[in-house]
Amino acid sequence: MDTFQYISPEWAQEAMQRLRAELSAEKMKHVTSSMVTYYTDCPDGMNRAVYYRFVDGAIDEVSIHEGQAPEAEFRITGEYDTFARISRAEMGSRSALMSGKLKLQGNMVKALSLASVVDRMNKVLATIPSRY
Amino acid sequence: MAEIQTHQVDPYFIDFPDRIRRIQKRMHESGIDVYLGSRLRTLSWTLDAFCPWRSFIVIPPEGLPTAFTFVIDASRVGDDSWLDADHVLGYAPMGGQDQISAVSDLLLRHLPGGRGVVGIESGMAPYLPEGNLTHFEYECFQAALPEARLVNAHDIVDALAMIKEPGEIARFREASRIVDVGHQEVWQAIQNKGYCGMTETEVGGLAALAMRKAGSEWEWSFTGGNEIASGYRTGLAGGACTPASRRELRPGEPFMVDIHAMFRLCLGDHSHNYLLGPATDRMRWHAHNFVDLVDLCLKTYRPGMTPSLLADEMLDFCEEREFAEYMVPGFEHGIGMMGDEWRIGMNDGPFPYWTNPDHVYQENELLICAMQYACTEESIGFRYENPILITADGCEPLSKFPLGIEEV
Repeated sequence: MDTFQYISPEWAQEAMQRLRAELSAEKMKHVTSSMVTYYTDCPDGMNRAVYYRFVDGAIDEVSIHEGQAPEAEFRITGEYDTFARISRAEMGSRSALMSGKLKLQGNMVKALSLASVVDRMNKVLATIPSRY
Repeated sequence: MAEIQTHQVDPYFIDFPDRIRRIQKRMHESGIDVYLGSRLRTLSWTLDAFCPWRSFIVIPPEGLPTAFTFVIDASRVGDDSWLDADHVLGYAPMGGQDQISAVSDLLLRHLPGGRGVVGIESGMAPYLPEGNLTHFEYECFQAALPEARLVNAHDIVDALAMIKEPGEIARFREASRIVDVGHQEVWQAIQNKGYCGMTETEVGGLAALAMRKAGSEWEWSFTGGNEIASGYRTGLAGGACTPASRRELRPGEPFMVDIHAMFRLCLGDHSHNYLLGPATDRMRWHAHNFVDLVDLCLKTYRPGMTPSLLADEMLDFCEEREFAEYMVPGFEHGIGMMGDEWRIGMNDGPFPYWTNPDHVYQENELLICAMQYACTEESIGFRYENPILITADGCEPLSKFPLGIEEV
């Protein structure tokens, strides 16, 4: 099985395919929104961002950015290692938020209503065989 | 062709966006870049929504404000408020979403380079839910905004909120009408010895049900909702606070009913007193003293009057009638939209955050005419409270329940 370098352009392409294949618009609550996850202290010393855009429940874009990412409705910031542990199912994303390891910016009320959608996304992303 | 609407059809309409613009004008004049409101009175006055959880409002130099409240209640506050959901946000114990992070992130957007002046609300009050910024919150915000200067600016809202607007006055009138419905219910229930076996808490509940049926949102007072006292509890020294107890009403005792209704954040608060028969001549003497004093007081309020001038006149009357020793020497307290329940006017008196005794009343100010009579040794006392509107040449008591102390 192919493995993908975590948060590389190839990983983003694979993420897009899997999200499209496995999450119907119903499962995604027909959400139209955008989210950017900022990874600090990546293994190569860089900071990176993954930008996700959804239109009516369909994933429309997954892209990797070094430096400035597009504006998004929700911004989640944390260390690369924290995201990697979530991706390897060693830590829950909720626990990371509640302990302050991840920082969420955006409308908390809307975020609550989208929590289940993000959980479903994370489960799909965790299935991508990745190298960290 | 549709009729052009030239006036607001809602008699209770308040122009909240205009309130924000007036705050912003004062901010500009005071050199304040962004305002951080935290007092309950400020939240009610700006949001038109009740905020029972710790909440904040961030008012930028121009444009719409943003409110923050505990996330479990943010949707409801947004639904009640005139602001849209994007301007009523929730905070929660999560990275980036705790109240200090969420609020200071927004404040920083209005402070170029993190520098500038943030107006905050600091002070003290006998009224517990005032909502001034706590010492801990102040330190946290200062740490989050190290280049900004935090200055006390509550007087901006205090000054603007002092003179009531027509829609606000209409809401207060409706709240008082509802309170009168509650009093009518109690009066009917206690007739013909109907009070026998009834407890103070039950009376509070009877009034509450009647007022809720009439449209009251809740018995807003932080002093225990509807305050009911009977017997010796009416005469507790200085006793202007009597949450209802489980005490049963008894013949031959005084009985005080102080009930509260809220209508669209505006507050009804009226006290009425009874003598549960048989009454003695001495009880009637106390009752006559009190009714005459209230009557005189209501005739004395007018623009230009001050709390100290009024107190002097009233206490002279009490002395003349030889009951001054039974009076608490204060005759009013402040009132405004929910959370504004204590000080009258501005914080410019000799004792910080207490009413300035030389505050000069102006037309369209609203206050609670409040008097407490307590003869502890005879276990008798009375209370009067009624929101009054200062008019051009006197005052309008908003509760219309007839003044008197009836023998039941």
